[in-house]
Amino acid sequence: MNLNYEKASIELPASWKALTPVLAFAGVSCLIVGAFCFLFLAPSVEGDKTLAFRYLTHSYLANFIYILTFAIGALFFILIQFLTRAGWSSSIRRLAEIMMMMIPYLSVLFVPVLALLFVNSAELYEWNAKEAPNSVIAAKTKVFLFKEFFAIRSVLYFAIWTMIATWFFRISRAQDESGDTDLSLVRQKWAGPMIMLFALTLSFAAFDWVMSIDADWYSTIFGVYLFAGSMMAFFGMMVIISISLQNAGKMQKWITVEHFHDMGKFMFGFVMFWSYIAFSQLVLIWYANIPEETFWYDVRLKDNWQYLSYGLIAFHFAIPFLGLISRHVRRHRTGLLFWSIWILVAHWLDMTFLILPNAGPATTFPLIGHLFGGVGMLCIFAALFILRASGVPLVAMRDPRLPEAMKYANPIL
Amino acid sequence: MNRVNMATVASNFNPREIDNTADIPGRRAQLVTGNQTYSSITNMVCRVAEDPQPLLWYVLFGFSSLTAVMFLSLIGYLILNGVGIWGNMNPVFWAWPIVNFVFWVGIAHAGTLISAILFLFRQNWRTSINRASEAMTIFAVVCAGIYPGIHVGRAWLAFWLLPYPSLNLWMWPQFRSPLLWDVFAVGTYASTSLVFWYMGMIPDIATYRDRSKSPLRRMVYGLLCLGWTGSSRHWLVYEKAYTLLAALAAPLVLSVHTVVSFDFAVSQVAGWHTTIFPPYFVAGAIFSGFAMVVTLLVPSRAIYKLENLITLRHLENMNKIILATGTLVGLAYATEAYIAWYSMNQYEGFTFLNRQFGPYWWAYWTMVSCNVISPQLFWFKKLRTSLFWMVVICVFVNIGMWFERFVITVTSLSRDFLPSSWGYFRPTMYDGLMLFGSFGIFMSLYLLFCRFLPIIAMSEVKGILSIANHEAHAHDESHGQAH
Amino acid sequence: MSEHKPRKSNEVKMPKAFGWMAEYADEQNLLVAARKVRDSGYTQTDAFTPFPVHGIDEALGIKPTILPFIVLCAGFTGLITALLMQWWTNGVDYKYIISGKPFGITPASIPVAFELTILFSAFTTFLGMIFLNKLPRFSNPVFTNPRFDRATDDRFFLYVNAADKYYNRESVKELLAGTHPDSLDEVLDDSTPSTLPRPIVLGALLLVLTGLIPAMIVLNMRASFSTLPRLHVFFDMDFQPKKKAQQTTTVFADGRSMRPQVKGTVGRGQLTEQDPFYLGYDPSKLSADDAFTNVKYVSANASQDPASKDPASTAVPATPAQTAPPQGAATPAPVLNLPWVDKLPASIVEEGNIEANMKLGKLKFETYCAACHGYGGFGDGLVHKRADALAQGYWLPPTSMHIDRVRAQPVGQIFHTITKGQGKMSSYASSLNPAERWAVVLYVKALQRSRNANIEDVPVDSRSALDNELNAEPTK
Repeated sequence: MNLNYEKASIELPASWKALTPVLAFAGVSCLIVGAFCFLFLAPSVEGDKTLAFRYLTHSYLANFIYILTFAIGALFFILIQFLTRAGWSSSIRRLAEIMMMMIPYLSVLFVPVLALLFVNSAELYEWNAKEAPNSVIAAKTKVFLFKEFFAIRSVLYFAIWTMIATWFFRISRAQDESGDTDLSLVRQKWAGPMIMLFALTLSFAAFDWVMSIDADWYSTIFGVYLFAGSMMAFFGMMVIISISLQNAGKMQKWITVEHFHDMGKFMFGFVMFWSYIAFSQLVLIWYANIPEETFWYDVRLKDNWQYLSYGLIAFHFAIPFLGLISRHVRRHRTGLLFWSIWILVAHWLDMTFLILPNAGPATTFPLIGHLFGGVGMLCIFAALFILRASGVPLVAMRDPRLPEAMKYANPIL
Repeated sequence: MNRVNMATVASNFNPREIDNTADIPGRRAQLVTGNQTYSSITNMVCRVAEDPQPLLWYVLFGFSSLTAVMFLSLIGYLILNGVGIWGNMNPVFWAWPIVNFVFWVGIAHAGTLISAILFLFRQNWRTSINRASEAMTIFAVVCAGIYPGIHVGRAWLAFWLLPYPSLNLWMWPQFRSPLLWDVFAVGTYASTSLVFWYMGMIPDIATYRDRSKSPLRRMVYGLLCLGWTGSSRHWLVYEKAYTLLAALAAPLVLSVHTVVSFDFAVSQVAGWHTTIFPPYFVAGAIFSGFAMVVTLLVPSRAIYKLENLITLRHLENMNKIILATGTLVGLAYATEAYIAWYSMNQYEGFTFLNRQFGPYWWAYWTMVSCNVISPQLFWFKKLRTSLFWMVVICVFVNIGMWFERFVITVTSLSRDFLPSSWGYFRPTMYDGLMLFGSFGIFMSLYLLFCRFLPIIAMSEVKGILSIANHEAHAHDESHGQAH
Repeated sequence: MSEHKPRKSNEVKMPKAFGWMAEYADEQNLLVAARKVRDSGYTQTDAFTPFPVHGIDEALGIKPTILPFIVLCAGFTGLITALLMQWWTNGVDYKYIISGKPFGITPASIPVAFELTILFSAFTTFLGMIFLNKLPRFSNPVFTNPRFDRATDDRFFLYVNAADKYYNRESVKELLAGTHPDSLDEVLDDSTPSTLPRPIVLGALLLVLTGLIPAMIVLNMRASFSTLPRLHVFFDMDFQPKKKAQQTTTVFADGRSMRPQVKGTVGRGQLTEQDPFYLGYDPSKLSADDAFTNVKYVSANASQDPASKDPASTAVPATPAQTAPPQGAATPAPVLNLPWVDKLPASIVEEGNIEANMKLGKLKFETYCAACHGYGGFGDGLVHKRADALAQGYWLPPTSMHIDRVRAQPVGQIFHTITKGQGKMSSYASSLNPAERWAVVLYVKALQRSRNANIEDVPVDSRSALDNELNAEPTK
């Protein structure tokens, strides 16, 4: 297998680097426009002033979690590739590594959420109110849900993820220099314990950051739910980045149709896995019909949110399921790109579904503001990705399993 | 190449000297050891059914078939006398038989998981172990299916579970009941697994047919393999069908234990109604199934001298999956307990304290030590590559997984919302004997399978060997030259 | 091409030839040979290998299969079948409410829908593979070559079928020989008889027929009714080792399975058995003669159809003086003659309680009695009015409490009527406890008195008000 390459072909396109300030500017302006929609347009046109700030906080969290899940998905992807000694992914692994290295950057965007707690606002997290809304929440605020502990936990999650990501990235970069195969072995060895740590922290982060918005509500599957959506969105993002790079004339040799096929399969698989988890959560709560749990769905099935909730069945499951079922689509770059974009939108709708209905009814201007926020966050994500990827070769050139990634072929399916 | 010579070469080779568990990145370790050829693989596998069975086989089969006969007689006794011979009582109406059902259904997950999901993930090491695991799946489903069948009270009317138009009943089954979902899930799983297993065996049965000396064997195997020739046109459709079945069986295998978990989780019983049950049950099922596969394969490969095909690497990989799923199960236990506390729901909170420190504390701590702690020993490579220790740990895992179902079923029911109806379940002698007896059925079927059917998917192992040879050729840059 | 035909007719005695079969030791040689054969233009070719050789489809020019599409269709069929089945059986044909769940398609329909989708797809996959490969095919000319046994072991065969339109016996042989096969044989017709041996046919037939038996039994059960008591294969709980009332036993010397009460013991509830408060009559005054009358009364009640019974004939007054059998009755109806209590119990009427009891009696009367007897006790309650309006002919009007016969009844008898029921009126003992029943009696007596009161019954200081009222009404 010929592994010769031109150095420029595995670097970020120069045009992209030039785009960074534009993207950053666009991102920030979108956020500002979004905030304007929430704080000024929504109250002045739709009248309800008390909800304006509430919408803003919920929308910010939803959009933040949205872009964070790409990085979380990337982190899990790296861990599982080493855990299973995978060879096929060697040539696309660096892209995921760069994405996982965005966790420390993204953690800065969580500061506003913590700040909100420390100015004693209960707009986002109802348990932060001076007087807890009910006795159950009051009991929780005594032992678990109080701002200091919440902040410590949040910092801990980011710290653990950053630690894992940085360690893996450093070794990966070191291997670029030395080509030492032991560096693959050491990552392989530690992937197991790290994945345990990851699973634990992701579960608790999901409980803390998203589930505790409804401090009354609880669902043990919630961490898995967020994980399923994250992985699906991560593969969508990978496909989009890969195709964009190839369109810019980079990575042509390193990302083959087989890689696209595999990423497509994973996307398809996680569409099904998300549906499985979402259905499991729904049917158990629907069937048992206990008011302590059903109210969470009730909120999402009224005030126009029902269109989103029912829409997810089609948008997040049925349509992409049928779209990705054919191997011809999964091996077709344009087809795959279309479904990746679809899936990113579906994941954004899912994050909206999880968080926004708690703010209030679905009305026009808050939704427009939320949309601007989402676009803004994506722009910021893109800018940060370019920033992080600058100066880093986009392929781990001296990975011992690279030849395997270049010559494997998908059997039948 | 002379067949007899190859066989001698294969059997003279001492596989214990080869350790293929170490993996240098960039160079995959051999999946089958001992410089195998296509014909040596055929010899090694066919020998199992062609040679006279070792004495041990007769001893084991005698013992297990007697146990199976005892089990069947007990079923007769049960039908004549009613379920009162069991320890089921108020409020523990679902007791030992349901525990056994879930236990066996869980075991039944490994086979299809290995043949379907590992296939989709291109895990080539599955080829040596998938056949035996699939067989084990079918036999475990048989054991599992018996329990709900005899638990319905009037076992001879169990066909009422099926939606058939009846003039006498004027009724349909209740499709909104998770117990009926179970009928469909387990029924679909059993039949699809059977088809998957049988279809996978067709080419290998053809090999058995072509090597048969006696006309009877030739005819029976010939009928079973449907006249398979190995035509490439057939192989093409066959491979497509196999892949499709794998793609269908993968979600199916997840759905089965999910539906079993629904039996518990859609209720309002504290300790049952928790949303993580579906994935957690599936992880537990894979966990117990793999443990059972390892428990069976270690002696099988020793008895039939298959160490070159079922290598230490295969076993180590399975142990790693046991470690992963065991840890997942532990995570699920922790999540459940944490949410029980976090929810501040007094019933949930009580249930978990009751599990840990109530009258069934011994069951809970057996479960935790067997399921969560014992597989952690597999972090040590020494232990996960030691035949003795892996069997010990896997037996513990199976004990632990039985206790998990016991803990879930019995502790929650014995102390439910109404303290005046609390009770303490005690199994009767029949409960114990019928659990033991089901192992007799399971082992008898497995031993018969070893005796008559190909226990390793020869054609798949050869396919993997072909790829390996091809890569080796490519490495030597001798590719393209004939010979 | 066309040459082989005359050649074949020249070799009549030779078995029919189906083509050439070349043998190779490994798959690389096979692939090389296959490409060569394909490039020569042959399409009726095949390779026989012990495992699927990758690249052979391209080397032989085999087209992809349509199996996935068939399976997709089957999957949809399964999905729709499951949804329709659940909707029809539980939402239309047999609606059965279970834990308040709605009918029709709900989240609860998804698991079965999923399973049937998989079931249909999986079986279509398997049967489709069998069908597309034209299996089972037990008699195949390729088996005639004994070397072919190794096609499922370690050998690779390439086959050019004589049905190919470019087939030429010699040129194909030459072509294959040029690929350096380990052996090259002509595939000849199988000379062994092609019919199945009779025992196998019979055995298979027997097996199929036996397999049909359960289906036939189910079919039969589905289409037939039986009025016979069911066969007791299993005894369930139908025959239990226990004694029922009025049966004999060998355990006791007197042979009776029912046991008399042990002397000197008091059963639960027995303490009240002798108390007039609970009975309405005084059992200590019960004479043998009374007992005889009561036996007659009970037997007369039992022999009469309650629906055709005139209420007056059973609700006979207690004292002989007031006995008034209905005109036209052939025999005087038996009379229930008991030593009735004729005074309300002291606890009901004592000073502090009587007002509360009157209110309680009114409440209970209006709750339980007024529906039939009417609020005023005239026997004109809503039930009666409704029944009257329907005019069905067999309705017995409830008794008015203001007829002489009832007015003459002692309080004990009214209490007894409420306790035991009378005619169509059922017992109210389960709805009203004894004290409440006495309160109702109190209220009934008050109602009766109110219809037959004279001026002395009115309190002295209210009489003038009554006079004024009467005078104010010109019609009276």
